[in-house]
Amino acid sequence: MLPLANILSRKVRSTISVLAVGVGVALFLVLVGLTSMLHEIADRATNVDADIMVMPAAGPAILLGGGLPADKTEARLRAISGIREAIPVLCWTLNMAGRDQNVFAVRPEDWRFFATKPDAIIEGRPLAGGYEMIIDTRLQRVGGYTLGQKIERLNHTFTIVGIAREGVAGRVFVPLNTLNECLQQDARRATFFYVKADGPEAVKSVCDAISAMKLSAFTLDEYYARLSNLLGDMHLVIGGVVTVAGFVCFLVILLTVYTMVIERTREIGILKGIGASRSQIFGLVLAEAGLIAAAGIVVGFLLTWISRAVILDLQPLWTIEIPPVRFAYAAALAAMGTFLGALHPALRAARQDPVESLRYE
Amino acid sequence: MATIIETRGVTKVYRTDGVGTPALRGVDLSVRQGEFLSVMGPSGCGKSTLLYLLGLLDRPTEGSVVLAGTDTKGLGDGERTRLRRAHIGFVFQRFNLLPTISAEANVAMALKLRGLPVGSVPRDTLAAVGLDAKRYRRPNSLSVGEQQRVAIARALVTRPTVLLADEPTGNLDSEASDRVLELVARFHRELGQTIVLITHNEQVAARAGRLVRMRDGRIVAG
Repeated sequence: MLPLANILSRKVRSTISVLAVGVGVALFLVLVGLTSMLHEIADRATNVDADIMVMPAAGPAILLGGGLPADKTEARLRAISGIREAIPVLCWTLNMAGRDQNVFAVRPEDWRFFATKPDAIIEGRPLAGGYEMIIDTRLQRVGGYTLGQKIERLNHTFTIVGIAREGVAGRVFVPLNTLNECLQQDARRATFFYVKADGPEAVKSVCDAISAMKLSAFTLDEYYARLSNLLGDMHLVIGGVVTVAGFVCFLVILLTVYTMVIERTREIGILKGIGASRSQIFGLVLAEAGLIAAAGIVVGFLLTWISRAVILDLQPLWTIEIPPVRFAYAAALAAMGTFLGALHPALRAARQDPVESLRYE
Repeated sequence: MATIIETRGVTKVYRTDGVGTPALRGVDLSVRQGEFLSVMGPSGCGKSTLLYLLGLLDRPTEGSVVLAGTDTKGLGDGERTRLRRAHIGFVFQRFNLLPTISAEANVAMALKLRGLPVGSVPRDTLAAVGLDAKRYRRPNSLSVGEQQRVAIARALVTRPTVLLADEPTGNLDSEASDRVLELVARFHRELGQTIVLITHNEQVAARAGRLVRMRDGRIVAG
């Protein structure tokens, strides 16, 4: 009761402290949530009925443009023993729903490798050829697109012929020949190939054989691991930001509780005068800090929810997924930071000389 | 009657930047159970220092304080706190109420800190000092006389063996002062409460059964 009354009696200072904790919690959760976007991209890129990805030897950092001659490379790949299918993909970007979308240009007959589930197309039909386009449900929702809608891009009119369930490798699919024509390539080009081996046992030998052709080959698992390494770097950055945010929260709490203890020097003397022990004074100070932390955690969760809604409103195609366990981590971090920040002032309060405290003006 | 609190050759020296300032010089004082003792003297004579030592809020530089038969010399903070809780109630000149909580909560705080059941005890005690109707008010919305009565209720709610009052009427006008002193006297008369009251006012001191005079850190009479 006394800690709550003390907090309520210093509304501005308490509000600032609660906000400081809340911002730290929200920063941690939103940053963690943003990393889920990379996971979502990695999940989609490897959601193909294939075993291996093949890229130019240099290995493009960004999957974009036609670095490989499609027909020639396919012929070379098919000559390798153990390869069942070679699927060329040309990646390009088209502005849709207000931002550049990664377009997968594939041969219509190769769609089956991307339709990993029987109900991958939920509306319309797969690509047949010409100026056709398949988009996923998320892009449809965000861009307000409808089946059969005509879209002017690359100086041509594309028709949306199918809506694919969210989770397919690309947000937009167009026929490979069509995109090559639009880009006025002199011969069909591909950014990379998906390769399906005869069986799991053939994957390694196929990779070795492709590498011998001075192409870069790695399994989809390895590709996922590559993206995960990017995530690892991202986690380091996030860890750094969270550490700084946590330190700022810690300092704010330290300053708040320290100021509170100085301000209440006389009250601490009174409490000792009426029977409070050191541990009770220590507990009262920590309880006050704990209430600030608890309110800060609630505010942090609220700020996270608001931030997520605002970000997704501004960038609807982004993915911000925050597992419930992360909320528990954030709460634990905030509680620990608050405890550490309040520890020194609480000990100082507990050790205060009651007579000096009572004489304190 | 048995001695409830006693000082034996108590000296207190305050040190600032290595310079010692004696506040008490070899004070011997015995207070018997149920006694109403008044300590008088000019400002700076050591009255409040003596009270803080009697209440175990401070430690003597030399000598010892014996409370309820226990020599407190050498006791740790925890044991001193336990003794203080069991036997001492404080009333201060400046009331020293907690400003963020109600009068009733201030009184209840003394019980809670001792782990005692609260129930209607704070309300009953406030009623005994005539403040039942104002029990939900915060200290700053009460008059100074009322604040001091809340402080008395807080000091007595735990039924202490000894009530130590440091110039309880020092900040009050004569009417409020009379009312507070009458209250203290009533508790002494009706409950046999042991009281040590510090004052520099002759009229206030005259209410006590025994008067002790102090000067320059020494007891000079009584």
